[in-house]
Amino acid sequence: MAGKVTLQGRLIAVDGTRGRDTTRDAQALADELKRRSIRCAVSQWDASGLFAELALGSDLRISARSLSLVYAADLAFRLRWEIRPILDSGGIVIAASYVDTAVAFGESVGLPGNWLRELFRFAPAADGMARAVERKLDKPWKQRLDRGYAEYCAAILSRSAPKAYSKSARKKMIGALDGAPTAQATALTPKGINAFAKILTGNRPAASSR
Amino acid sequence: MIAAREESRGLLIAFEGPDGSGKTTQRKLLKRWLESIGHNVISTRWASSPLVKPLLKSRKRIRTLSTEEYSLLHAVDFRHRVETKILPALWKGQTVLADRYLFTALARDAARGLDLDWLLHAYAPVLWPDLVIYFSLSPEDSRRRVASTREPHFYEAGQDVTGIEDPLASYSQFIDRVVTEYQNLSVVFKFVTVDAGEAVYRQHTKVRALIEQAKKRPWSTFSGEAVKEWLAKSHSKAD
Repeated sequence: MAGKVTLQGRLIAVDGTRGRDTTRDAQALADELKRRSIRCAVSQWDASGLFAELALGSDLRISARSLSLVYAADLAFRLRWEIRPILDSGGIVIAASYVDTAVAFGESVGLPGNWLRELFRFAPAADGMARAVERKLDKPWKQRLDRGYAEYCAAILSRSAPKAYSKSARKKMIGALDGAPTAQATALTPKGINAFAKILTGNRPAASSR
Repeated sequence: MIAAREESRGLLIAFEGPDGSGKTTQRKLLKRWLESIGHNVISTRWASSPLVKPLLKSRKRIRTLSTEEYSLLHAVDFRHRVETKILPALWKGQTVLADRYLFTALARDAARGLDLDWLLHAYAPVLWPDLVIYFSLSPEDSRRRVASTREPHFYEAGQDVTGIEDPLASYSQFIDRVVTEYQNLSVVFKFVTVDAGEAVYRQHTKVRALIEQAKKRPWSTFSGEAVKEWLAKSHSKAD
């Protein structure tokens, strides 16, 4: 069994339009890194529990701008309690999701891109950027509070604008992700995961399965 | 639509100043007086939105908030109150008295070391008040007044940034920074200053005079983006 390899801490951002895809692809990348004996952890949306607690409230008249601020607060929590400690100890953190998800969703519902990007200025730039594979492209978001940021927002915001969070809104978000300054991100297809893991591990081969 | 509402909309008055400066007393006195002369008045307090108050309370209790998280949660609270309480009331012609406003966040968070430009950005687009009354009090007097009634809370005392264990000792250091920030903001944003060391009645008389002379800051010039964004979301309710 190969010994544990400790690299200098690195932050990998995985963004996408659907929470399930983002989580699944981030986990696949983490699994691949672990197979190569690289310590890594996945930091997920709403680790702070802010969104879950908000959903328990009786007053859910929340604007897209307020939701962006909550996302930023959640990210500040994740950076303090999950991401920075691991980076400081030399580990790899896969942030699923990170800044681009919030910026792209905000843009898709009409918030100014420069306001969104400036809001997240406190978040360190990721060392590696990846995109979840977009699945079920012909479908809108499921309006669910427990999947991912976009689904959560769709569930909340559709209460005041029932038709606004349709297929076209999701397409707009995909377009915003494609147009992001970090659009060079690697798509996490099986081939992409392998290539990405190779870059991160300096071509270190996977440990043989036992 | 915004210009047409300018005439009938209510006045937004912000009360600012360090802890112990008597803002709440003056706000209550003003409300009573305005109501006695026929105004329809509502008050809004800092960190009071039903959406965010429970989140802030629980996190403050366990002291887990980073500087950015603390600031951002207050920004959510502010945004939510502007959208669901302040703007609807102003639109209907009510006078709104804000017991602390944006400038509280700017002073406290800048004193915590956050960048003022970033803070202003996080609170944008801003609904600017028509009048900001600043109750001026020295850091020493603020400390003395606070100490005579209670022990400051962990974040109020700035213990998250000073690292000082004794709340009052921490407050003394932190309030010094907050008052410095307030004084800078006072110049930039043209606060009207009331000496919080004066007798309550004298202060109230001065506040009344300020309100009588107060002029509306045209929304279209100062707060157009904030009002437009709110209208776009709640057009039907606003009519």
